[in-house]
Amino acid sequence: MIKKRKKDLYLSDRQPLTPLGKFFLALNYFVLISYSLVILWPLSRMVISAFNGKQGRYISLSGKYEFSFKHFEYLFKETLYLTWVKNTLVIAVATAILTILIVSFTGYAYSRFRFKGRKTSLMTIMLLQTIPTFAGITAYFTLHSIISDFFPFITRQMMLIFIYTGGGIAANTFILKGYMDSISTELDDAAMIDGCSYMQIYKLIIMPIVRPMLAIIALWSFIGPFMDYMLPKALLTKPESYTLAAGLYTLMNNRETLNQPAFAAGGLLTALPIVILFIVLQKELISGLAQGSVKG
Amino acid sequence: MTSEYLYDHLDRAYPRKNLYLKDLAQLQAKDADQSQIKDFISSKAEHPYTSKLNDYKKNEKIFIQEKKKASQEKISQLKVSNDLSYFLIEKFEAEEDLKFYQKYLDLTYDAELGYESALILSTRLDGIISNLEKMEREITELEACTAILDGTDKFNHTFISREDYKASIKELKSKRKEGLISAKALETGRRELKEAYKYSKELRKLEDPEYRLKKEIQSKKHAKSNYVKTSKRLLKDDLAQIRRRVPIEIERKRAYLPWISLPFPGLGQLLNNQKAKALLFFLAGLFIYLVAIPYSLGFANYQGKGLAGLISLAAGGKRTDRSIIFMIEGIIALTLLTLSALIIIFSFLDVKKVNQDRYKGIRTRNWFETRSSILEDGFPYLVSLPAFFVIVFIVIVPIMTTLLLSFANMGPKTQSKFPWIGLANYKLLITGQGLVGSVFWKIFLWTIIWTIGATSLAIFIGFALALLAHNPRIKGKGILRTIYLLPWAVPAFITIMFFSIMFSPGGELSLLLSKLMGRTIDVKNSMIWTRAVLILLQGWLGSSYIFLLSTGVLQAIPDDLYEAAEIDGANSWQRVLKITLPIVLFQTAPLLVNQYTFNFNNFSIIYLFNGGGPFSPLEYGNLAGSSDILISYIYKLTINNQYQSVGAAVSIFISMGLMLIAYLGFRNTKAFKEERL
Repeated sequence: MIKKRKKDLYLSDRQPLTPLGKFFLALNYFVLISYSLVILWPLSRMVISAFNGKQGRYISLSGKYEFSFKHFEYLFKETLYLTWVKNTLVIAVATAILTILIVSFTGYAYSRFRFKGRKTSLMTIMLLQTIPTFAGITAYFTLHSIISDFFPFITRQMMLIFIYTGGGIAANTFILKGYMDSISTELDDAAMIDGCSYMQIYKLIIMPIVRPMLAIIALWSFIGPFMDYMLPKALLTKPESYTLAAGLYTLMNNRETLNQPAFAAGGLLTALPIVILFIVLQKELISGLAQGSVKG
Repeated sequence: MTSEYLYDHLDRAYPRKNLYLKDLAQLQAKDADQSQIKDFISSKAEHPYTSKLNDYKKNEKIFIQEKKKASQEKISQLKVSNDLSYFLIEKFEAEEDLKFYQKYLDLTYDAELGYESALILSTRLDGIISNLEKMEREITELEACTAILDGTDKFNHTFISREDYKASIKELKSKRKEGLISAKALETGRRELKEAYKYSKELRKLEDPEYRLKKEIQSKKHAKSNYVKTSKRLLKDDLAQIRRRVPIEIERKRAYLPWISLPFPGLGQLLNNQKAKALLFFLAGLFIYLVAIPYSLGFANYQGKGLAGLISLAAGGKRTDRSIIFMIEGIIALTLLTLSALIIIFSFLDVKKVNQDRYKGIRTRNWFETRSSILEDGFPYLVSLPAFFVIVFIVIVPIMTTLLLSFANMGPKTQSKFPWIGLANYKLLITGQGLVGSVFWKIFLWTIIWTIGATSLAIFIGFALALLAHNPRIKGKGILRTIYLLPWAVPAFITIMFFSIMFSPGGELSLLLSKLMGRTIDVKNSMIWTRAVLILLQGWLGSSYIFLLSTGVLQAIPDDLYEAAEIDGANSWQRVLKITLPIVLFQTAPLLVNQYTFNFNNFSIIYLFNGGGPFSPLEYGNLAGSSDILISYIYKLTINNQYQSVGAAVSIFISMGLMLIAYLGFRNTKAFKEERL
C-alpha cells in the first residue's frame, strides 16, 4: 500500500511536464545523443582501423576485421615514430619552460608597475602578434643559417622553440597580467613594508598565488607543438627531426611511406594522452582561455 | 642665470652660502649692465668669499690625509673582528669629521653635508657597536662553553613518538573510511601531524646539550651577520637621506658635458663623479663600438655587408652571395644600430638631467642611491629584457624582413639575387595581373566565405548544444560534456587527416555520401563538395570549444533572472532570446572574434584535408587549388613555388587587415580603458 503511494507521489520541485514538454524533452535528448554519435562515429572508426589487422597500406573499413597490433608494431619498428615523439616532447617541454620563465616576469611587470611606455609596448606586441607567425618563414630560414654560423649548436628545432615562445609572449603576458590584477596589492604593500624587494615579493607572494595560472600557461605552451603542423613542416627538413604532426603526415601522403592504418595507430597513441589531459583538466583549461580574453 | 636660492628635489628653497654666487645672483637680478657683471666675474679671485673657500678646501685636504693616517694606525692597534673594527673606524672618523666640519658650517653646504653625515653616524654607531659587542661576547662565551643556556634541559612538551604519529595517521584514515571527514580534512590533518612530529623530533634533539649549543652558536652567528648587513644598509640609507636634504653649490653649468659624452657613453657620468654608473654606460659603449658599428659596416657578417647590403642586395656581388642574406643582415644591423641609438640618447639625457639638477642645487645620486633606483624604478624594464630580446629577434626582425621582401622581387627565377621593385608586387595583387595575381581576389573571396561560414557554423552548433544540454531535466550531462569535448581534445591534424582518408575516393564517408545522393560523388575532385565538407568539418571541430565555453557561462547565470522573467510572463523562447543570448555573447565576444581570426589563418585544415585542391589549372593556374585560403596560398607561394616576395606581399596585406581588426577590438577592451592603481 505505502509503496504504491510513494510511487505516485510527485516529489520534484519542478512543474510536471505537459505532453508537449515531454515531446520537446525527447527531442532534446534525441538531438544531443545523435550529435554525440556524430562525434563518436569517426573517432571510433579510427580506433577500429588502428586495430584491424586485415588491412594493407590503405584503411578499409567495410572489409573483414581481425584484432591485431600489427600496425602498432609497424609504427614502432618501420617508422621513426619514437623519434618524433621524442622531438615533440623536447620542443614542447623547452617551450613551456622558456615561456614560463619569460612570461612570469613580464606578467608581474605589466600588472604591478606603471612604467613609461607600458601601454604602448603592450599594444604594439599584441598587434604584432596578430600577424601569423608563418609570415616570417623566409626570414626564419635565413636567420637560422646566419645564427648557426655564429653558434653552430643552434638547430632548427631550437629555432622552432624560440618561435613558439616568442609567438606566445604577448598573449600569455596578457593572461597572466589579468590574473595578477585580480590579486589585491595589499599583500604586496605589506611585504614591502616588511622590507621585501620586488623579486622577493614575486617569489614569496605573487608566484604561489598565480601558480594555477602559470600551470595553465605552461600546459598550453606544452600542447601547442603537438598541435602545430605548419611550422615544423616548413622549417624541419629531415624526417629524423620531424615532430609528430609532420611525421605522421608522411604516413598518409608520401607515396613511399604511405601506411594509413599505421597513421591511425600513431594518431590514436598521440591523441590518447592529450585527450585524457583535456578531460581531467577541462575546467582549468577553459578558465585559462576565458581569463585572458574576458578580462583583457 | 644664477638663482639666489638653491632647491632640492622637492623644490624646497635654501639660501645660498656661497657669498660670491649670492652677490652675483643679486647683481643679475637687479638687471645690472653686462659689463658690470663681467667685471664682477673677472674679479672673482678678489672676492673675500673665494679666499675663505680656498682656505677651507686646503684645510679639508690636509684633514682628510691626517684622518686617513690616524685611522690606519687605529686599525693596526685594534684587536677585534673585522665587522666590529669597520664600525669602530667609522665612528672614529665620524668624530673627527664632527670636530673639523663644525668650524665651517656657515661657509659651505659641503661642510654641512660632512657635519650632518658625521652627526648621524656618530649617534647611530654607538648603539650598533654596543649591540655587536654583545653579540660577539655571547658567541665567544658559547664557543668556550662557559655560558649556561637559559631554560631547563627538559622542555615542557609532550613528545610525539613515531608510534604515536603512525597511530594518529591511521586513526585519521579510518575516520575518512567511515566517512566522518572529507578527503581535504584528511590531507590537512595529515600535514598538521607531520609538522608536529617534525617539531617534536627537533625538540627531542635539542635536549642534547651539545647539539643545542651547536645550534645556538649557529643561530647567533647568523643573527650577527644579518645585523651587520642590515646596519650597513640602514646607515647608507640615512646618509643618502642627508644628501637629498643638503644642497650643492656650483658655479658653472658645464653645458658641454652631455655633448662630449654623446660619442662616448659613460664619459659624462665619469666627469659627474658617478663611477659605477659610468662603468655600466661604458660597457654599453663597448657594445656599440665593438658589436653594433662594426657589424653594420659589414665586418663579422655571415655573408652580407651590413647596412650597405640592405641597399645593394648583393647586386654585382659574388655568385654565391644571396640577396636575402644581405637583406636580413642589413635588418639586423639596423636593429643593432637602433639599440645603440637608444643607449646614446639615454646616456645623453641622463648626463643632462644630472647636470641641470646639480646647477639647481640637487646633489648627484651616489651608487647606493642609483642602485636602489635601478632596482626599483628600473625593475619592470630589467625583468622584461629577456622578453624584449626574444620579441625583437623572433618577431620583429622576421616581420621587418617580410615587409621589405614585399618590396623586392624574390621569385623562382631570382632566388639568389633580386632587386628592389617598389610597390610592383602589391600592384600585381590588387589589379589581379600575372600568374600569381590573377587568383588573388578569388582566393580572398573564398577565404572570407570560409572564415564566416566555418566559424559561424561552429558557433551555432556549439551554442545550440550548450543550450540544449543546459536543460535541468537532462541527465548524464557529465558524459555528454566529455563526448563533446573530444573534437577539441584530439589534435586537429589527426582528425583532419583521418577525415581526409575517409573522404578520399573509396573512403567510407565518400561511399556513404554517394549512397545518400544516389550518384557517385568524388568529394576531393569537386570544388563545391570540398568546400562544403571543409566548412562542415570545421563546424565539427570548432563547435566543441564553443560548447565548453558557453556551458561555463550558462552555468554562471543566476537562476533568479529566469525566475523573475517567468513571473513576468516570459515564455521560454523569450527567456533565451532576452537573457541567455545577450549574456553569453557579451561574455564570450572577444573569444568569438579570436575564432574568426583563427579560421582566417587555419592552414592545417585546408592543407591537410585536400592540399588546397582540387586543382583546376584553367581557373586557378598552377599555384593554387580551388579550396586554398590566403594563408595556404602564402605557404604554396613561399615554400612550394618560391615566389617569396609575392608571398610576403600577401602576408603584409592580411596582416594589415588583422591588425586593424585587432586594434579596434583591443581599444575597446576593459584592460586598455580602465586601469587599476
